[in-house]
Amino acid sequence: MAGEGEPGSEKTFKLLGILDVQNIPCARESILYGSLGSLVVGLGHFLATSRVRRSFDFGMGGFVLTTLGCWIYCRYNHAKLRIQQRIIQEGMRNKILYESSDFDPERKQNSNRGSNS
Amino acid sequence: MAHPLQLGFQDAMSPIMEELLHFHDHTLMIVFMISAMVLYIIMLMMTTKLTYTNTMNAQEVEMIWTILPAIVLITIALPSLRVLYLMDEINNPHLTIKAIGHQWYWTYEYTDYDNLEFDSYMIPTQDLPNGYFRLLEVDHRMMMPMESPIRMLISAEDVLHSWAVPSLGVKTDAVPGRLNQTTFIVTRPGVFYGQCSEICGANHSFMPIVVESLPLQHFENWSTMSS
Repeated sequence: MAGEGEPGSEKTFKLLGILDVQNIPCARESILYGSLGSLVVGLGHFLATSRVRRSFDFGMGGFVLTTLGCWIYCRYNHAKLRIQQRIIQEGMRNKILYESSDFDPERKQNSNRGSNS
Repeated sequence: MAHPLQLGFQDAMSPIMEELLHFHDHTLMIVFMISAMVLYIIMLMMTTKLTYTNTMNAQEVEMIWTILPAIVLITIALPSLRVLYLMDEINNPHLTIKAIGHQWYWTYEYTDYDNLEFDSYMIPTQDLPNGYFRLLEVDHRMMMPMESPIRMLISAEDVLHSWAVPSLGVKTDAVPGRLNQTTFIVTRPGVFYGQCSEICGANHSFMPIVVESLPLQHFENWSTMSS
């Protein structure tokens, strides 16, 4: 899984032996929000209807939907962030490579400002 | 490299492998939720006292169990297609290396440099120095510069082989009479291990692949000394 290294070299907590909630981005938040959502929906339904089994069903459904919803939202934003990081890294690398050469975009900008003023 | 009893992927050493790891985590979370829900439903079915034997139609539940799986599949397919197209992006490789599979060793050719080619045989266990990895070490590693796009052309001389390095997210079949191409970038210096991934005879398990990535200056020193 993402970031798995030597056993014992860093803390890993695998939920049900499968899901490494500490090292996978967004996993911990999703599971925690999912548990909270499950509790709120299940308990709320029980307080409203006093039906135990149906409240458990709602709790389970709330857990799945809240976890998945939080997960998809967080991963989407995380992916956008990674793309931005990659663009910035590429830009920094190119800046160092092209500084003071004909390809330097800052040089072109400065010459444009000079000609406009 | 993998450690004993490892179940998950190795750490990603190329951008594509990072994307694959993220996609795997995304899909695993969805699978985890579906499994939890199915187990819960099984538990409910086994503990209910309610029975009804005259069901004629169930439009509502059939709508739900048609639309929900479709949504789940779309949620998995969109990132999957994104990674698939990322893997096919055209980049401008700085170096071309040919890997040719034989029974039972690899040959690496650096045709961008004069006369730079060598064979890579596994180091037998009896000749292995202390602390080295059994069945994974080779006499001549494939060297490459880090943070440079590399084009690999992979083929074979005799039977099918497959050039695979898990931490780089590369696995490409070596087919006799055919050139398969793959490109990748190694983001960090280090040594990365892989093994032949297509059955090729008695010593199929004993023709490993070792890639060593170096900063460009060190790679150029090595290529100068070697050619």
